[in-house]
Amino acid sequence: MDTRANLANFSVPALITSPADVSRLRREIKALDEYMHQQELRTPGAPSAMLPKLSRLLHDLATTNNLNLLDAKTRGELDGFLADVAAHAPVVHISFAVDPSSAFLQKIVQWLRQNIHPSILVRVGLQPSIAAGCTVQTTNRYFDFSLRQYLQQHRKLLVDGLTKLGTPETAALPGPEPASKETA
Amino acid sequence: MVGNGAMTIWWLGGILGVLCAAALAFVWVAVRIGRGGSARAKDTPDYTKAAEEDVEHIFNAAFREELRNRGRLHFEKIIGENAMFLQQDLRLTTSQLNEYMKAEITKKLQEEFSKYEQSIMDAKQLAIDSIQKTNQAIDEQRAQLSKQVQTEIAAEKAQVLKHFQENVAEIVNHYLMAAVGNQIDLSDQLEYILNEFETNKQAILEDINRGA
Repeated sequence: MDTRANLANFSVPALITSPADVSRLRREIKALDEYMHQQELRTPGAPSAMLPKLSRLLHDLATTNNLNLLDAKTRGELDGFLADVAAHAPVVHISFAVDPSSAFLQKIVQWLRQNIHPSILVRVGLQPSIAAGCTVQTTNRYFDFSLRQYLQQHRKLLVDGLTKLGTPETAALPGPEPASKETA
Repeated sequence: MVGNGAMTIWWLGGILGVLCAAALAFVWVAVRIGRGGSARAKDTPDYTKAAEEDVEHIFNAAFREELRNRGRLHFEKIIGENAMFLQQDLRLTTSQLNEYMKAEITKKLQEEFSKYEQSIMDAKQLAIDSIQKTNQAIDEQRAQLSKQVQTEIAAEKAQVLKHFQENVAEIVNHYLMAAVGNQIDLSDQLEYILNEFETNKQAILEDINRGA
């Protein structure tokens, strides 16, 4: 089965951001499958099992792709799609200084899916030392969009500013070259 | 002393007068006996015997004892005078000897003191030279040490400044994080982050495609 073709069958809503979300969706679909299977086996009059509570993620996924989750084939296709997403969708790791809100993260994921990959997933990490901005780690590269890196790039301005404050010796010494923006 | 000297002179004069009187009496008696003797010898041949008897009568034992005593006294006086002269000479000699010894000792002492002073001066000069050399060495060492310390301070200062410059971004970042870290909202950073994504879009895309 062609993974890319399978991935192209459905679209992943922005609410689903991380591999953990995909795993949770797969568990919910399995639970729904199990419930449907039990309903088919249930004899009339026998007590019915409780309908598993569906999350907003699954609801959003079904709504976005206009899916009928009561259909077993559709659930199977969706589960296969999610399995492909979990196995093959690109994942980037983004670290922020504080825990981002859901809306903020959705905007980031939306931009990534529009400009990088439609099924890209994001793992969110915390790195308080960056103060502001974020760091992005893809498969092979590391991008530092933090305030620390920004200050590092503009270190000469900082040194010049400090020199103007009354440390004339500072200006006499050659400052080190700014670090490269990207670290492979 | 003067009174004793005058008394001694008077005693000597008296003794000499007695002796002279005795001698004149003897001469007069002898002349009289000689004159009368030659005339009377013829008359009285016992004059010699009489003269001897007179002599014996004049120079009797008491008289001789008196003379002996006077002679002893005179001898003692002379001995005393000589002793006095000898004492004076001895005192003079002693005084001269003292003066000589004093002069010699003073001379020797001055020579020794001169040598001692010269030795002290030499030692002092040697000590001064040594102290000057030591001071010079200390000055040189101090200058060298000062130069070395200044060099090390300058190097340390440059190192600190270089370290500060290298870490100024970290310092400011740490300061900002401590000062306003809790007030920075991620929503305000969205535009900056998306701009950075846009700037690095091609690199991210290439890495994603290559990795996928």
